[in-house]
Amino acid sequence: MPQAQTRLIVKTAVLTLLAAGGLSAAAGLIVWRAGWYNIGATASHLGIVYKGLEQAMRYSVRHHARNVPVPALGEAEVLRGAAVYRDNCAQCHGGPGTAPGTHALSMQPVPGPLVDAAMRWQSRELYWITRHGVKMSGMPAWEFHLSEADTWAAVAFINRMPAMTVRDYKTLTAMTPAQGQAQAQDQAQAEGDAR
Amino acid sequence: MKAPRTLGAALVAAAACLLAGCGGTKPPPGVVGDPDLGKLALTQYACHSCHTIPGVVGSDTFVGRPLDGLAKRPFIAGNLLNNQPNLMHWIRDPQAIDPITAMPNVGVSEKDARNISAYLLTLD
Repeated sequence: MPQAQTRLIVKTAVLTLLAAGGLSAAAGLIVWRAGWYNIGATASHLGIVYKGLEQAMRYSVRHHARNVPVPALGEAEVLRGAAVYRDNCAQCHGGPGTAPGTHALSMQPVPGPLVDAAMRWQSRELYWITRHGVKMSGMPAWEFHLSEADTWAAVAFINRMPAMTVRDYKTLTAMTPAQGQAQAQDQAQAEGDAR
Repeated sequence: MKAPRTLGAALVAAAACLLAGCGGTKPPPGVVGDPDLGKLALTQYACHSCHTIPGVVGSDTFVGRPLDGLAKRPFIAGNLLNNQPNLMHWIRDPQAIDPITAMPNVGVSEKDARNISAYLLTLD
């Protein structure tokens, strides 16, 4: 008798779960197929969708960048990175006191500032994001468009940004790569002399 | 028969409100502009990329200061009296007020600044 009762309980539980799963799937399918979710970039995501996607992106980057070896990044890379950043990143991400381009203001998700990126990401993760991009976010992959050295230079510059004033940013990004290189050489020489 | 139908309509309207965001938010006394349009406009100038703003979906960001309770603050931008004209000026041209601020001029029109400030001043 107790055995029959147990079977009844298990059967009811399984059928209930199947029915709930089936109903959820059907509801999801209807919302998906009817096009009710607004794909327009003037309508915000539902909070849960946004946070869920954002967190998935964080976990994915953390996982995929875990074995990226990080080279030594010095002052020369920061200066080189300033030009790389200005020419390829600032259009969407802006900088201290510098607005991104109009197109980037109304993207969804917003590309957002990178002034605090170094406080949120490791160097290897910044490199991985730059090199591989982020699906469905508007972030392109730079693997085929930026050299390895330029990609790391951009990372070096981004790492420096939290300590940059508006003026520092303007000065660094106003320099031509050649000027930057010359200054880096001077700096390296000065460091050598100091030693 | 009629009462349930009215109730049903009200429920549908309430659900639509929840989903799409209700229109018709009134600005606080002494404030002009449309807070609902302002809430939309501020997402189109990426304000929420640096500021966390109540009612706006986005990342937890602390590049600019969080804007909750803005209506209650006596000052904005450090030493500017918190009123709508000052807030609009700050939104439109922050560096004219504080030349070393990291907040950039993102080209907000006067009308959009009015609506955005109207929304922000509902945050108390």
